[in-house]
Amino acid sequence: MRKSLTYSLLLLLLITACTHRFEGVEDNTPVGNMECLWQTLDQKYCFFDEKEVSWQSVHDAYLPSVQCIPTDDYLTLFDTLASMVNTLNDGHVNLYSSFDVSSCSTWYEGYATNFNWSAIKSYYIPSYRVAGGAYYAILPNDSIGYMYVPDFETPVSSNNMAYILRSFLPCRGLIVDVRNNGGGDLSYAYQLAATFFSDDQVIGYWQHKNGVGHDDFSSLEEQHLHKKDMPSSWFRPVVVLCNRHTYSAANFFVSMMRYSDYSAIIGGVSGGGGGMPLSYELPNGWLLRFSSVRMFDRDKQSIEGGITPNYLVDDDPQTPQDEIIEAAIQWITNYYKNDTSH
Amino acid sequence: MRINNKGVLLFTACLLLEVLFPCILTAENVEHENILKIQYGGAWRQDQYLSPTLYDGMMVGLGNEWWQPFSQDSRLGKAGKLDHWQHVGCMDLLFDWTYNPTRSNVLYAVGVNVGWGAHYTWQWQQQGVQVLLGPYLDWSNTVKYHVRNVNKPISLDASLQAMAMAGVSYAFHGKNTSYRLRYLVWANLIGVDFMPDYWQSYYELTEQVQGTVRCAGMWNHRTLRQELTLDMQFPHSTWRVGIAHEYDEYGEKNMMFSHEQVSAIVGTCFHYRLNPKHNFTIF
Repeated sequence: MRKSLTYSLLLLLLITACTHRFEGVEDNTPVGNMECLWQTLDQKYCFFDEKEVSWQSVHDAYLPSVQCIPTDDYLTLFDTLASMVNTLNDGHVNLYSSFDVSSCSTWYEGYATNFNWSAIKSYYIPSYRVAGGAYYAILPNDSIGYMYVPDFETPVSSNNMAYILRSFLPCRGLIVDVRNNGGGDLSYAYQLAATFFSDDQVIGYWQHKNGVGHDDFSSLEEQHLHKKDMPSSWFRPVVVLCNRHTYSAANFFVSMMRYSDYSAIIGGVSGGGGGMPLSYELPNGWLLRFSSVRMFDRDKQSIEGGITPNYLVDDDPQTPQDEIIEAAIQWITNYYKNDTSH
Repeated sequence: MRINNKGVLLFTACLLLEVLFPCILTAENVEHENILKIQYGGAWRQDQYLSPTLYDGMMVGLGNEWWQPFSQDSRLGKAGKLDHWQHVGCMDLLFDWTYNPTRSNVLYAVGVNVGWGAHYTWQWQQQGVQVLLGPYLDWSNTVKYHVRNVNKPISLDASLQAMAMAGVSYAFHGKNTSYRLRYLVWANLIGVDFMPDYWQSYYELTEQVQGTVRCAGMWNHRTLRQELTLDMQFPHSTWRVGIAHEYDEYGEKNMMFSHEQVSAIVGTCFHYRLNPKHNFTIF
């Protein structure tokens, strides 16, 4: 009896000794947070090659200044780490804290604004309707439908689209404006794009990271556009308007629309954001968002740097009309002139 | 998120097997013990797939546990070789909510644990002491939801493990009450874990399930559960109070998953006997 109990206790002690409590918890110091941020991006960020950034050099450049930051100086730490991640020149790389959010602006600086919603409302659509995430109206005197999608945070559902297209029944063309659309849910972009395709098709490719090395990627995986996501269809001319602030899911929407048989892309070069973002927490509770999955168009070309439209047109902010919308109207008019079958 | 059909089938089959197995082995004309219990306590979680920080918070649980002798009708039973063997099963539903150190985020976790074990018992009737030792099969699944993460909010703990279970109990009597003090401990030996790679999102896992199920043993997965309970048998009811502790950690390379909880247990026990006509008698 005594022997059994002794053996049981020894066994319990042996088992307890084999356990380690919470290994590898990162230290919440300025250097600990920086190292966690650096390593997370080093292993998971997907665009090092495309950005031509030497991430090790960035580490070595920033470490001395981070080492000098006092533990309680969270503002300096935030600004330093924000500056560090902004070297990637990627709008999908952000640092979120309870007091600030970092964002990179270099990817759109130097580009024309190319969008003025107030001017569009006063000049083209003094009255409009709203269906889901879309504002829509028929342009006066032109029999052309205009639909503005400011983001993909709100869906334009198949039900919304059925009503929108019903109102555009007398129209000979449609303008889908995704300027200043910063993205959102990619599935909403797929759904809207399916309106302009007659059947399922491969519309792009994704490539996942499958290792910690900068070049460790899976093979390209096909991404399919499914017609069942959007039963309504529009098979008349459609022009997609974009500018540098057309980003992320909206950028992918523009990429998809290039393959529609009835479409043209007009405006400025889109913003890019061709990497699906993931996020990871730092030891101090800040959240780091970063591009992790590379997206390619149907021709297997990267869309991270943005998409050049079929017709590059800049808006002149000094004039009341929108030159990009005017170019779209012109393209639709020419479409019928050039193609007598319609 | 698309879920692999084979995975769902395998998961369901294992769960059903775990639940039905004790029912198949249910013995007749002997006393069975069943315990319904609730748990409440503290929880700590570390999931480096979702976050590098250690989360802490609270947990609640609801569980059912049953202890049964093996049937004496089998060949082994008739030969008297099952006289000292019992089997035990349990099913626990657990929920915990934990916070990061800066309290800027919350991690929710819902888990279902199903287990079955058999053990040999040594009894010293006069002293009221019983020692038990035997194997235990544990099937644990916990879904964790990280509120702030973008495109990667969910993580899953899933493991099927063969464990060793040991315990000692001491029965004694008061004036109008009988007591049983029992200490149980479980430790894992070998099994399989589900574990995603560090860089994989669950979008990717749906396409690349291969390689996420890994062989587990004490070299990469350590589980220790302990439970100290006191059963109090009153004239018309039996109640249990106790304390439970669980520590579980697994991982490879630079990614660790850990979980610890300490909880108070309150439960009620009832005993029943199945007669050959399968009438159910509680006493």
